[in-house]
Amino acid sequence: MPKLIVDAHRLVGPVPFDDLPVDPTPDLDRLGITRALVTHTLSLYSDAEAGNDALFALGDPRLVPVPVVVPGVPGACAPATPDAVRAWGARMVRLCPERHRFDLTGPAALRWLTALTDPPPGPDTGSDMGSAAGPAVGPVAGPVAGPVAGSAAGSAAGPGAWPAAGTGAGSGAGTAPVVAVDLDETSTGQLRTLAERLPGLRILVLNPGYRRLRALAELMAEAPGVWVEIGTVNTQGGVEWLAERFGAERLVFGTGAPVADDCGPRFLLDHLDLTPEETDLIAAGSLERLLGGRS
Amino acid sequence: MILDAHGHVGTWPDFLIPDPTAEGLVATMDRIGVTAMGISHLLAVGPDAERGNRLAREIAERHPGRFGVWQVHNPHHRTPLTRDGVWGVKLHPDVHHCRLDDPRYDPVWEFGLPVLAHGQTESPWSDPEQFATVAARHPDVPILMGHTGLWPYGFARAARLVADHPNVYLEVCGSKSTGRWIARLAELAGPERVVFGSDACFLDLRIGYGRLALAPLTPAARALIQGANLARLLNLTS
Repeated sequence: MPKLIVDAHRLVGPVPFDDLPVDPTPDLDRLGITRALVTHTLSLYSDAEAGNDALFALGDPRLVPVPVVVPGVPGACAPATPDAVRAWGARMVRLCPERHRFDLTGPAALRWLTALTDPPPGPDTGSDMGSAAGPAVGPVAGPVAGPVAGSAAGSAAGPGAWPAAGTGAGSGAGTAPVVAVDLDETSTGQLRTLAERLPGLRILVLNPGYRRLRALAELMAEAPGVWVEIGTVNTQGGVEWLAERFGAERLVFGTGAPVADDCGPRFLLDHLDLTPEETDLIAAGSLERLLGGRS
Repeated sequence: MILDAHGHVGTWPDFLIPDPTAEGLVATMDRIGVTAMGISHLLAVGPDAERGNRLAREIAERHPGRFGVWQVHNPHHRTPLTRDGVWGVKLHPDVHHCRLDDPRYDPVWEFGLPVLAHGQTESPWSDPEQFATVAARHPDVPILMGHTGLWPYGFARAARLVADHPNVYLEVCGSKSTGRWIARLAELAGPERVVFGSDACFLDLRIGYGRLALAPLTPAARALIQGANLARLLNLTS
């Protein structure tokens, strides 16, 4: 049983094609998952900005916001500028190039991601929130940094607590957000191109599935800035195979629930043929490092 | 007793299976407490049913009590059928490009052993509607609808289509299934009509069983789904 479990890929809110729980916390409790990185379904199935607003309003310390970014020319993007993304203080943002119909390796997306990865120097760049964050800081910073109710994480200073975005506390302050992309929204080739063009970018591949293991391995071999969510690495021994080649520190527990299954991946965590240390990395430690928290 | 109705051994051309071996499956079964698994060899599902069936029987003999054999019948090759040392017959209409209700499968239904068939919603070969058709024609043949139609949007429809055919069981493996859907199927069809399968080694046994183990089910329903139903329909004893 891992010491701490964080689901790096979860949805909050209603979906149009099923009757699923809008609040993930009862399932987190049931499955012994301490907290989850969540994206609001409105951002995926309605309006990106409306979803992000709803996400920031959650105010639940167990639900860490992963807002959606739509890079593009003015008038076709969300939010208005890369600076606005940085002002969120989110440690991870999500891109949906297929759903939102933009070119992940096109000039607009590359400009946006460059701006997120290498922000221009200035008085606000010492902290990823800085003074420009304004009212958006509170709801985002709180959930990321706050103590985890009812979990083994204990206080913000305890194991598994992440430094506060926007407060400058901890080693993660000032880091660029991780970019999460569902592999069904892109290709390993596009992600490899992205990693080559922006070597400082940290990418979390969501929902890699099990049928593209060869291509996924090639991507991980070529792009050290790529991490992989394991929830759908669902062929016999697939997670161990990746861990053996690339290290458990490149693998992250996540589910995609409630649309995708959380029961099977959660059970898998308890039965991996890996050392306890490797399992702890996959359960939470790798994500913590990826997001710039303590290792 | 945990019985896995839907397993495989061997490699598959579409993707890499890191551990396609029977020994790997046994190790995982021991780790999580699965008593036995019904397997078809993926070579048999693919181009060589006779050889693949032989390999599956050899595996079952090497690991007594751990594997049952679903012998694959390829309708184009008219694969011979046996009653010795097998759980039943495996059909894969989508791989064989032969509809489940095609008369070329008649020798299988007439043979009378339990049948595990791949089921896939909206597939021209194996839509759940075809399970209702063959179940009506052969009410004495137990039929496991593999994957319950595979796609979540079709699960409820699959359960409805076979509701009046008590010889059809809903087997729940598949990469798109969820613990929540297993619980829903138990409500829709009754837990006595739902059967656990993992699709290992094609899929990971631990994820497949974990989906059931952690599904929001009553202990009684879980016991039926994870073994009692299959033991009953195959006349297996512990």
